[in-house]
Amino acid sequence: MAASELAKDIESPPKAKLPGELKYIQYQHSLEAQYLPAIRALISKDLSEPYSIYVYRYFLCQWGHLCYLALHPTDSSLIGVVICKLEMHASHSPPTLRGYIAMLAVSAAYRGQGVATALVKMAIDAMSERNADEIVLETEETNIPAMRLYERLGFLRSKKLHRYYLNGNSAYRLVLLLRPADTDIAANLALDDATPP
Amino acid sequence: MNAVHDDTTAVSDGPELGGFSINSYDPRAYLDAFEEPPPPMISSEGIVAHNITEEFRSAAATLEPGELVKDGYFTLFESVGALEIGDPKMDSGCLAPGESLDDDYDVTRPLLPGEVIGIIDQLLSLEIAWHLGYPLSQTLFTSVYIEHMLQPTPMTVQDADFIRNRPPQSQRDPMHGVLRAYCLGLLKSSCYVNERIKQEHSYEEEDFVTNTYNRSLLEKIGRYEIRDEIMEARNIIHEIRHTITDEMAHALGFRLELRTAFLRAIELSELRSDAESLSLPWSQMQGVWEAINKTRHLGKPVPEAFSTKIQRRLASTMPPRPIVQLGPEETHEHFKKLIADGIDVLNVLNYSDSQSLLNFVLTFQAQKPQPLVFIRALLQNFLFHDMVILGRLSIRQILDDDLSIVVLPSSLLLDPANDNVEAPHHPRYAIAHQMELFRQRAAQSYLDIFRAFCQNRCRVRRTLFHSLQDWETVQIDAEEIDQLLQLQTEEKPLVYPPSSGVVPSHSLPLSSWAYHYKLRLMEWTVQLGFELEIYQPDELAGMYWYLSYLSRTRAQHLERIKFFSAHRLETTTATSQQTRSKAYLHLATLEATTTHHLATALSALYTVLARLDLIPRPPRPYGTDALRYQVRMKPFASIGLPELPSFESFTTAVLKPNVSTPALLESAAKAAAAARVGLEVLSKMGEGEAFATGGRGGGGTGFERWVGGARAWMRACIAVGVAVESVKRALVANADEKAGMGGLTMSVEVPRPENGYHEWWIVPRVSKGRF
Repeated sequence: MAASELAKDIESPPKAKLPGELKYIQYQHSLEAQYLPAIRALISKDLSEPYSIYVYRYFLCQWGHLCYLALHPTDSSLIGVVICKLEMHASHSPPTLRGYIAMLAVSAAYRGQGVATALVKMAIDAMSERNADEIVLETEETNIPAMRLYERLGFLRSKKLHRYYLNGNSAYRLVLLLRPADTDIAANLALDDATPP
Repeated sequence: MNAVHDDTTAVSDGPELGGFSINSYDPRAYLDAFEEPPPPMISSEGIVAHNITEEFRSAAATLEPGELVKDGYFTLFESVGALEIGDPKMDSGCLAPGESLDDDYDVTRPLLPGEVIGIIDQLLSLEIAWHLGYPLSQTLFTSVYIEHMLQPTPMTVQDADFIRNRPPQSQRDPMHGVLRAYCLGLLKSSCYVNERIKQEHSYEEEDFVTNTYNRSLLEKIGRYEIRDEIMEARNIIHEIRHTITDEMAHALGFRLELRTAFLRAIELSELRSDAESLSLPWSQMQGVWEAINKTRHLGKPVPEAFSTKIQRRLASTMPPRPIVQLGPEETHEHFKKLIADGIDVLNVLNYSDSQSLLNFVLTFQAQKPQPLVFIRALLQNFLFHDMVILGRLSIRQILDDDLSIVVLPSSLLLDPANDNVEAPHHPRYAIAHQMELFRQRAAQSYLDIFRAFCQNRCRVRRTLFHSLQDWETVQIDAEEIDQLLQLQTEEKPLVYPPSSGVVPSHSLPLSSWAYHYKLRLMEWTVQLGFELEIYQPDELAGMYWYLSYLSRTRAQHLERIKFFSAHRLETTTATSQQTRSKAYLHLATLEATTTHHLATALSALYTVLARLDLIPRPPRPYGTDALRYQVRMKPFASIGLPELPSFESFTTAVLKPNVSTPALLESAAKAAAAARVGLEVLSKMGEGEAFATGGRGGGGTGFERWVGGARAWMRACIAVGVAVESVKRALVANADEKAGMGGLTMSVEVPRPENGYHEWWIVPRVSKGRF
């Protein structure tokens, strides 16, 4: 989705020094009033097409546990956010449990200091713990820093999507396989699961 | 939330509905009211309506703000489609305080000739933006003149004017007449363009937006009526020439001429006759376009004649988006290319043989930038319209031509006389039947290759991956038919490779043909991966190794085809078909071996550079290399032949742990030299040898592009040799220093595909200096 373009400039030279250790927290519904407006503001800043409130709620209400916030250590203001989902993907066989990094944004002043990488790692770890088979995302072809970030972590480009964004730019689909996508293995695991401990 | 009201509620609400009757519900009366809208009137047998407003409100009150209630069918797609009323970026009806719904540009105001040129030139830039993939709403439909011309829909050519209801006697202002005629021509040609694209295969909103937002692009008005209006406007320019400068009169005339020529070009293309006569209006456009470009300075821009607000009047839920503004230079380059490609694409009609046809499509579509969607749609139309290839050949003719070139020259299997045999026990009767089964099985897959290459490059790669699975089964099915046919022809099996002592086998011509295409598809997908920058620098050693593996497999397969063909025909005197097939197999083998050598050289070079830590390798804390191999090779995993190597054997083949670095460099140098020998032969080939024949006239753009490609490969090949030598020298220098402490005095840059010699050959640039 277009919001992955938000990783834009994450590696550009920092404009502000990090104010000590950032706080990283997992999102939960009780934080909505405090942080959702800031999340929307941070993400929509770099977007030509705004997402309605339903897009955020679509993700946060079902997968709040896959959303992480980076907060300022003293005033707890929002510095960065990653938003994901994790569900069965059955459009081709065999079905896989597919994680999807939908949005990633870091406040311009704090880019280039590993905040985005830290957020993405937390999201991958959380999805991996929940048995994700793979994690995918799209990123704009011109967004070299974002691609570098994901590729450093282990993602590969699997395909290019022509004129994927409304601005006419193309995208790459990036994929990180966490478990072998093998029908037989999947079947064996299912059998194991069925066996009582 | 007046979800449902029952009849009684509606009736009891009666007095508030003053002025309405059930048969004529008029919502306008409520538009300005701040009250809640009235409940819908539901009266139908079988519906028991019940007012749920209060129940809904009390249920909703138990939810916290932001809590989402949704069923399992509410998808991300739907949530993205949701709108927030009152947000100007989402709500198409949302106006800023004091903002008016429309602009008040007066289309009846008199126009200076320079203003007409200014408006037309802006329309040209918007037209090409539409061709590039932006919607009409952000391009041509931002013109106030066009909006007034199209709305309400004109039913006659007289109605088609931005000034409606002119008094019958009144003279049209000459400048209004010129602009109107221009817009008529523009809209009619856009109508044909849109229809052509809709009829062929392309990806909506990815390649092109065919949406006309409920506006008719003058569908009802005939092309000749419009042509006459343009003629009339040109006469008007002639009549008033004393009132404007010659330069201005010409500039206006050229712009009208462009419209007439484009309409004519489109009209002729439907004939699919010969390239030469079809190219006349395109050539005319080419000349006129240069004249238009030189008179751009006469134009006086009229920005107020274009508005984003018109989008609110279109059948669309999107709020107004900005006008797509291409600069004059960009407009010029794209228009020039559109016209040049329009002429070039006609050459496809000069058919000589199936392989030259494929070659034309491959090289035409490999151009950078790729031809525009409309041109690609024209190409598809020429190729496939009504299932008559190029307007005169049956699918069987093309397919049989191809079979005779690749595997079956002068073969009984392709003899048309087989069809005339009526005795069911006769072998020819059975052959005709089985060949027809084969054609039915393979024709679509074969044509799909041509169709795939008419798409955008990203889609070509993805479509070929799908085709690959299809060709896997084509090959299997073809082999079954081969086995039936060899009984009919009483073919004797042969030992192949000769004197290898293996069990004799049959020629299996049909499955051999399918296997050859399958291998080409596999090579193309890997090569497109380089072109589209799918692979990271440290994947290049592996992907070039895989390409070399595929091309070597194909070269070996071609040897097998040659062997069986030669054996079958050794007793007969060579026919022209045999000579042609021999020439093709020679060319294909040379291409395959050259690809193999060059890919081998590059793979070895990248492996050496990786050993020297000159190719960055990301840390990749997640996943494993084996899993990444699975992602990368997923489309090939289900292919039975050639089988995908295991991750372990792939890794060993690429890293070559048992080969020293100097030996590896030596093998890279040898492979590059071998590729160069092949390329020297290839680049000197004539159009016949290269199977890039442009038809009767000879020469042809397909051949030019083929030669250009061969030369680009040659330059890439030379660059590989140079890079290998540079690394060798640096290693020797390093060894001489003995120290080995300072590290290598070398740095490596992996260029982007468009900055190299050829998009399929990513040659690293090795230079001196510490990295």
